[in-house]
Amino acid sequence: MHHIANASLTDKVMSSGDSNPAATPTPCVDIQGDGRWMSLHNHFVSNSKDKEPDVLFVGDSLVQLLHQFEVWRELFSPLHALNFGVGGDETQHVLWRLSNGELAHISPKVVVLWVGTHNHSHTAEQICGGIMAIVQLIKDKLPKAYTLVLGVLPRGKMPNPLRERNAQVNKLVKDAVSSLPHASLLNVDPGFVHSDGSISHQDLYDFLHLTPQGYQAVCQPLHAHLKGLLEKQAEN
Amino acid sequence: MGDTRLISNPQRMSGDEINPAAVAQAVEDVQGDDRWMSQHTRFVQECKDAEPEVLFIGDSMVQLMQQYEIWRELFSPLHALNFGIGGDTTCNVLWRLQNGELDNIRPKVTVVWVGTNNHEHSAEQVAGGILAIAQLLTSRLPKTKVVVLGLLARGDGPNPLREKNAAVNGFLRSWLPRLGQAQFLDVGAGFVHSDGTISTRDMFDFLHLTAAGYRAIAKPLSDLLLQILDETPEEKRASLV
Repeated sequence: MHHIANASLTDKVMSSGDSNPAATPTPCVDIQGDGRWMSLHNHFVSNSKDKEPDVLFVGDSLVQLLHQFEVWRELFSPLHALNFGVGGDETQHVLWRLSNGELAHISPKVVVLWVGTHNHSHTAEQICGGIMAIVQLIKDKLPKAYTLVLGVLPRGKMPNPLRERNAQVNKLVKDAVSSLPHASLLNVDPGFVHSDGSISHQDLYDFLHLTPQGYQAVCQPLHAHLKGLLEKQAEN
Repeated sequence: MGDTRLISNPQRMSGDEINPAAVAQAVEDVQGDDRWMSQHTRFVQECKDAEPEVLFIGDSMVQLMQQYEIWRELFSPLHALNFGIGGDTTCNVLWRLQNGELDNIRPKVTVVWVGTNNHEHSAEQVAGGILAIAQLLTSRLPKTKVVVLGLLARGDGPNPLREKNAAVNGFLRSWLPRLGQAQFLDVGAGFVHSDGTISTRDMFDFLHLTAAGYRAIAKPLSDLLLQILDETPEEKRASLV
């Protein structure tokens, strides 16, 4: 009981925004000079005006790249899915986008959230707080939607601190959503880390981003899980 | 156009200042998973086992191409290796080429596509960096032909980076032919529409190409490669299917 009380207190602090930069809505500042982040955000907002998706994928480059490969057309187009992934996005960027129009014109039944691996200046606790802030925001804006948080994947060719951080994020998020009826965490790692601790470039071509083969391994179970969720939502 | 002294020595800008875009530099692991070095190490290892006819080197524009079907269709049959790393600048490519990624291989053609990530350098410096890469290739591989791809436009609408990339291409157009074995190929035609916009159908984030975007650039590129490979005297060339 004591542990649970502490966890929810930590969640409150970590997702309050005041003390957690990962949970404070923050747009990306254009330092390169072509304003692409804001262009993409505006594109998503206007693109959503005439669409009626049942599923919304939102997150970082792992979401964005998914949209480019055959697997999207095979598995997720048939589910009437929209893709609002932006490469490099951290939790606070996704939080800003969803707070500033990307949820304004749609009512998906399920939101698939995949973000956190790029939060390089934040601790696992802060990243969890950022993810939970997004979960709460989705609940506020789309009261009937279910949020499926995807576990952050391992990265790097060999064992390294980021793998530990990502695993810790997943553990913390799993605990945090366990009491929520409208959200859950799905581990989509099919076993990318081999027995010698290595990750293959055949699965993650730069030891971070998925190859089409890597996406197939991740998306087949994800697709099955999504279909189950959509059927359940339909029953309600 | 630009400082003609750069052609003979792209490491130096006018006034004999060093061109920072032509200084070899590895990427430091600040994130903590050492992925850049892991990718470099893998490429060096590939050089030990492979006998490529074509080598692609550059940034994410090169790297991502290998993830699409078009690579298997048009470039695998040419026995091509892909040494692209996302985020790379001319400095990073220079370092990789000087530190093992050219060992034990003798490609007939090298395709260079890099420069759009050189945010701290001027157009002239970036072009100088690309020129330095072309010179390094022709000196290490005297029989190789170098094809330098022009930098694409980027961003949703007109912006300073488009102008910069176009300026880089302008310098390359006039400098590269003087290198003899190097040529410039502009694959950017058609991406910018008459209203100045780029479509996400071609560049999903107004920078990186979609499958359709790659398809558009791959055809003229593969035509040129086939032409060069055809002109190259038989040494030990695998048959093209």
